[in-house]
Amino acid sequence: MIATIGFYVFAVILLASATMVVTARNPVHSVLFLILAFFNAAALFLIAGAEFLAMILIIVYVGAVAVLFLFVVMMLDVNFAELREGVQRYAPVGLVVGLILLFELGLVLTGWHFAPSAAEIRMSPTPTALSNTAALGNVLYTRYIFLFQLAGLILLVAMIGAIVLTHRERGTARRQRIGRQNARQPEETLAMLNVALGAGIDEIGILRPLPDPAPVGAESHALPHAAEPH
Amino acid sequence: MPVGLGHYLAVSAILLVLGVFGIFLNRKNVIIILMSIELILLSVNLNLVAFSASLGDLVGQVFTMFVLTVAAAEAAIGLAIVVVYFRNRGSIEVEDVTMMKG
Amino acid sequence: MNWQIALPEIVLALSGMAILLFGVLYRRDASVPCNMLTLGAFLVAAFLVLSTPDGSGYGDLFVVDAFSRFVKILILAGAALALMLSFDYNRHEGIARFEFPVLILFAVVGMMTMVSAANLMTLYLGLELQLISLYVVTAFNRTAIRSSEAALKYFVLGALASGLLLYGISLVYGFAGSTSFAALASALNAPGGASPGLVVGIVFVIAGLVFEVSAVPFHMWTPDVYEGAPTPVTVFIGTAPKVAGMALLLRTLSTPFGHLSLDWRLLIELVSLGSMILGALAAIGQTNFKRLMAYSAIGHMGYTLIGLAAGTEAGLRGALIYLVVYVFMNVGIFAGIIAMRRHGRVFEQISDLAGLARTDPALALAFAVFLFSMAGIPPLAGFFGKLYVFLAAVQAGMWTLAIIGVLTSVVGAYYYIRIVKVMFMDAPAPAIDQRPAMVSFVAAATGLFTVFFVLFSAPIVAAAQAAAQVLFG
Repeated sequence: MIATIGFYVFAVILLASATMVVTARNPVHSVLFLILAFFNAAALFLIAGAEFLAMILIIVYVGAVAVLFLFVVMMLDVNFAELREGVQRYAPVGLVVGLILLFELGLVLTGWHFAPSAAEIRMSPTPTALSNTAALGNVLYTRYIFLFQLAGLILLVAMIGAIVLTHRERGTARRQRIGRQNARQPEETLAMLNVALGAGIDEIGILRPLPDPAPVGAESHALPHAAEPH
Repeated sequence: MPVGLGHYLAVSAILLVLGVFGIFLNRKNVIIILMSIELILLSVNLNLVAFSASLGDLVGQVFTMFVLTVAAAEAAIGLAIVVVYFRNRGSIEVEDVTMMKG
Repeated sequence: MNWQIALPEIVLALSGMAILLFGVLYRRDASVPCNMLTLGAFLVAAFLVLSTPDGSGYGDLFVVDAFSRFVKILILAGAALALMLSFDYNRHEGIARFEFPVLILFAVVGMMTMVSAANLMTLYLGLELQLISLYVVTAFNRTAIRSSEAALKYFVLGALASGLLLYGISLVYGFAGSTSFAALASALNAPGGASPGLVVGIVFVIAGLVFEVSAVPFHMWTPDVYEGAPTPVTVFIGTAPKVAGMALLLRTLSTPFGHLSLDWRLLIELVSLGSMILGALAAIGQTNFKRLMAYSAIGHMGYTLIGLAAGTEAGLRGALIYLVVYVFMNVGIFAGIIAMRRHGRVFEQISDLAGLARTDPALALAFAVFLFSMAGIPPLAGFFGKLYVFLAAVQAGMWTLAIIGVLTSVVGAYYYIRIVKVMFMDAPAPAIDQRPAMVSFVAAATGLFTVFFVLFSAPIVAAAQAAAQVLFG
């Protein structure tokens, strides 16, 4: 009974926040509603008994994907007020497509039944004696190791792709030069001075001038350059 | 499973429709389109988990895990492409995607 | 566990990672050695594909048979040829980075996995590996607006299509009870196995796969992606993924959903008709060569689908032969397009080719061979490709498809031959630049294949026959 009530509460919030994701005026709000939707979907997973996936959904989506979205929304300095103008124009088309799809899916959902052999052809029947996480772990790294590796390959490609597409070599970026660091001797950078009692640092002159002012100037020059799109 | 499969399927179907609707509705903002795609994948996951529970079969949950992985990878690549596009055009409006027509 | 069954994919994936590592650590410009290493990896993989015995492994997730072997060799050949065309182009456009061959290689791993899929999960993951790599290489020229625009379109529509495919897979899994092809086939064969939910799931799956091969209702991305992507990427997208997608369509519809062929054959027939007609009519007004090739590709996919719609072994054999012919013609014609450069500037308009026969007769001759072959003029390869699918359609009693196919071929011949006319009859435009040696090599190799296909078609037809038998066995 409690599960049923919980299901309805979470399902209603899920659908409401999903509606807000696609209709919100401000993309930042959209992302926040997306996060809400994921939390509620995780609750639905829990009710269905998929505890591990519920947690993963929150960790992966809320922790990584949604934050990535938020990051990009904030990073791209877009005038969002203009972006919403076209919505009204396309709403009827979208509505028609959506309603047709919903109608068809409704037909499906009223007429479905399991194939008679469904119980016999299950590939990995859920074990009863194990917790959900242990049961998943048992099959994921054995029976489905091939797919697991393939998923890893997909993540590798995504990583390569994201770097290839967005990484820019900036001449002004300050990088660590390990060779130079290792070659540094104490004599080059350290000076031992006897400081008179009560004397200010200005008077003794241990404030040395900055070694090379050029990078500072280059950096300030690079800023407006980086801001404008290429 | 304490709640009937039909309930889950209905929620998931509405979520799918919302996702598709979002793609058609937001012709101007690519980021919302990417979020709509995430909604579609979420509806698939809901379907898979519900089926997994009612069939008593772990495959659905294993598949959900892979779908989550792919969705994360897709989001990363999609956003990378949006960033590249924004750097080139200074806008993320889909309607601007009209250089090539005919 | 019979893990060696996926040896070609494993070796390819590992060498991809090794090449990536090499590229990162190599001090100087790594693109040339990485290109060569990738070609070498393709060669090794091809040998491994040929030497891997039949069987299935990884708990029925993965299967190797004559069909997968045939298609994998074709994919490797297409990818290798596309990569060879990329060397000079990428250097010239300033996008010669070592990640390019690595991404192509991972896309090929994805396609080979798709082709060997014996389970809907393997199918989906292979497909996504391929698609994600393709999105990135489409946007590879990241300072070009057209390239990133094409990638954006490709990504949004591709992600939508794979989302719908996935929704279909989830319905099929739920209502049938398994994602394994063998189990699905047995479940659907049983009386009462196919509920409306299942059929809707299959329709979603078909829609997602039809997007892959850019056939008609889901073809919208093709012209823009073809035009906007860097040309070597266009070559790649036009060959290997089409082959892999078509193979997936053939295997999925014949093996797990084979018993429901009454339900899906009409759908495939309509897709095929629509693609042939659109491909023929929309190509007429095009002035950009790459865009024209996109519509031409839609048409060719329509012809290939005739073989599937026929639903017979001869039909599948015809479709496979058509794919072989299509890959080589397509690569050949794009070798010509990549050579179109004047004073260091790339051009893509057909009118720029005016009088090519006088300024560069060899290239004009190669273009003419490929265009005549695409139009289906005997005795070139394209004619035999069409012959096998049309014969299969007639044998299966599908007269409408065969007749529309012949009619659209005639319309297609008009615009192909119009290009030949521009090259041979019109007043010459200024001469084009010296061709890179690799481009000439690819054009010559594919040209010889197209011209002399008739002489050595017997082993290809026999291999296609064996591959088609697997799906019907």
